[in-house]
Amino acid sequence: MTSYLTLSGVNKQYGAFTALDHVDLDVEKGEFVTFLGPSGSGKTTTLMIIAGFEDATDGAVEVAGQSLAGLAPQDRNIGIVFQNYALFPHKTAAENVYFPLQMRSVKRAEGLARAEEMLTLVGLEGFGHRYPKELSGGQQQRVALARALVFEPDLLLLDEPLGALDKNLREQMQIEIKRIQRKLGVTTIFVTHDQSEAMSMSDRIVVFDKGNIQQAGRPLDIYHRPQTRFVADFIGETNLFDATVTDAAARRAQSPVLGEVSYAAEGLPALADGQEVALVLRPEQMKLSRDPVPGRMNAAMTVETIVNFGDSALVIGRHGGTPIRVRLHGADVVILKEGDAATVSWTEDAVYVVTR
Amino acid sequence: MNASLRLIGIFAIVFIAAPLLIVVPMSLSTSASLQFPPPGLWLGYYASYFTDMSWLRPTWNSLVIAFFTTLLTMALVVPATFALVRHRFYGKSVANLMMLMPLAVPHIVMAVGYYSYFGDLRLVFSKTGVVLAHTCLSVPITFLVLSANLKGFDRNLERAARSLGATPRQVFVHITLPILRPSLTISALFAFIQSFDETVVALFISGRDAETLPRKMFDSIRQEADPVIAVISTLLFLIVALALLAPHAMRLTRRMLATASRRTTPRDQT
Repeated sequence: MTSYLTLSGVNKQYGAFTALDHVDLDVEKGEFVTFLGPSGSGKTTTLMIIAGFEDATDGAVEVAGQSLAGLAPQDRNIGIVFQNYALFPHKTAAENVYFPLQMRSVKRAEGLARAEEMLTLVGLEGFGHRYPKELSGGQQQRVALARALVFEPDLLLLDEPLGALDKNLREQMQIEIKRIQRKLGVTTIFVTHDQSEAMSMSDRIVVFDKGNIQQAGRPLDIYHRPQTRFVADFIGETNLFDATVTDAAARRAQSPVLGEVSYAAEGLPALADGQEVALVLRPEQMKLSRDPVPGRMNAAMTVETIVNFGDSALVIGRHGGTPIRVRLHGADVVILKEGDAATVSWTEDAVYVVTR
Repeated sequence: MNASLRLIGIFAIVFIAAPLLIVVPMSLSTSASLQFPPPGLWLGYYASYFTDMSWLRPTWNSLVIAFFTTLLTMALVVPATFALVRHRFYGKSVANLMMLMPLAVPHIVMAVGYYSYFGDLRLVFSKTGVVLAHTCLSVPITFLVLSANLKGFDRNLERAARSLGATPRQVFVHITLPILRPSLTISALFAFIQSFDETVVALFISGRDAETLPRKMFDSIRQEADPVIAVISTLLFLIVALALLAPHAMRLTRRMLATASRRTTPRDQT
C-alpha cells in the first residue's frame, strides 16, 4: 500500500517550546486514523498544520504525492469538522452545506440540490430550511459533517467533534460517522482524547504525547502491545509493575511485587540483562483464586476494595504497598470479600514489557 | 416580586417618563412660550416647525453632520477595532487608551481645544469642522460596542469558511460581515445619535452656517423659549420609540410567517 497522506519530519516550535518534535506518519487512502493524546500533546497542532492554519517550522506534508507547502487553507480541498461545529449562524442548514459549493462557483439551484442530498445521507432529510440554532447538538454535528463532505474533499479532519455531546448521542454519532466515512471512502483523521472513541472507530490509532508519536498501530495492538509506559498507562486500565531484566535471552525479569516473571516476546524493544523495565498487565487478563493455580504464574495479594459494575467487577488489592487491579466477570466475584487473602494469576503471554 | 420592590420599580418608571409627560402636552400648547400645564391645546407649533426655515435648516445641518460623522467614524473604528482585538503589536495598549480618551475628557475642554485649534485651520463655523470634532467624540462608544462584539466572535467560523474554499476576502464578505451586521448597525446608530445629540462642541464651533439643532434649541430656550422646542423633543421621542419597536415588530411578523409556512410542511416533525 502506498501512503496517501505523508508527514515527514514535521516540527513546530513556539519560541523555545517544542509543540511537535519531528513527526513522521503515513496514512493510506480511505483509512480512518485517530490522533489520541492528552491536551497539549501535539495532536491538534498536527491537524492545524495539515489544514494549513498553522505553518510547520520544519518538515513536509504531502497529499497524494503533492506537497501542501505554500498552499492556503482554501486551496487544500480538506474538509474540517470543529468541536463547536462552527456552523454559520446566519445561514440555514442547506445554505451551510451549499457554502463550499458556492465557493467553487456551483450554481445555487444545483448546489442546494446537492446540499439536500448530502443532508439526506447524514440523516437530516427535510431539515435544510432550519437555522443552526433551531437544531439539536447532534443535528448540528451532522450538518457540519455534511458541509465538510459535500465538496468531495481529499481529506476529512475531525477535531474532537463529539466532545460537546452527551454519552448516548456520542455513541450514536460514532457509529454514524463510521458509516458515512465507509460509504464515501474518504481518508479521515480524527482527533480525540477519549480512548474508547479511538478504540471503537479507528482503523489505526496514533498516540501522541509531548509532541511525539508514542506509538501508531491497530487499536487492539495499541491496547495489548503498548510500546511505551505512556501508552500502557494512557490506554485502558493497566497494572504497571517495576522490574529488572534478569535474563534477556530467556525473557525473564524480577519484580518486587510479582517475583520471578516470564514475559511475552512479540514486538518488544531489545532489552539487556539488568535493564530497568515496567511490566504491563491488563486487569481483565488476570484471575483471582484462593490458592495458587498450577500452570499459571501466581502472586499473593490482599483484597481491599470491590467495585461492582453489574456485568463485571473491579477488585483492587495490595501486595505490600503496591496496588493490583483485577477485573472479573460478575459471576466470579461472589467467592471473595474485602480483607480476604487471595492469589492473583496470569499467563506468560499476558505480560508485556515497556521501558521505564 | 414583593410589593415594595414593585413600588420602587413604578417610581423609577414614573421618574424616567416624567419629562415626557410634561414635554408632550407643552408641544400641543397654545401659549407663546414653554409653559406647563398648557393653557389650551393647539397643533400650530407643529405647523410652524415644518414651515420655519430657522428650524428646518438646523435640522438639515444636524442630519448631514450626523450622517458624515457616522460614515467617518465607522471608516476609522471598524479597521481599528479589528486590529486592536485580533492582532498583537507594539504600542497596542497605548492605542487602546487613545481610542477611549475622548470619553474621559470633559466636552467643554474638547470644545475649547477645537475652537482654538480649528481657528488656525479655518475649520471653525464649518460643517467639516463639526463632523471632525463629532467623529472624535463618537469613536470611543462605537469602539466599545464593536470590540465587545468582535471579542465574542468565534474565529472557528472563519477557519471553517477558509477550509471550505473561501479566500480571506470571501470570508469577510460572506461570513464575518453578515454575522457582525447587527453590531455594526448598532455602533453606527450610536455614532449618529452621539453627533445628533451633541451640544457643547456645536455651541463653540458650529457658528451660523453650520448651526445644529441642539444649538438652535439651546439658543431658543435662552431667548424666547419657543414651544417648537417641545415639538422637536416630542418628534425625536417618537422616532426613537419607532426605531426601538421596529425590530420587535419585524420579529413578530417573521415568526407569524414562519409558523404559517411550517404548517404547510408536515414532513418536518422531529
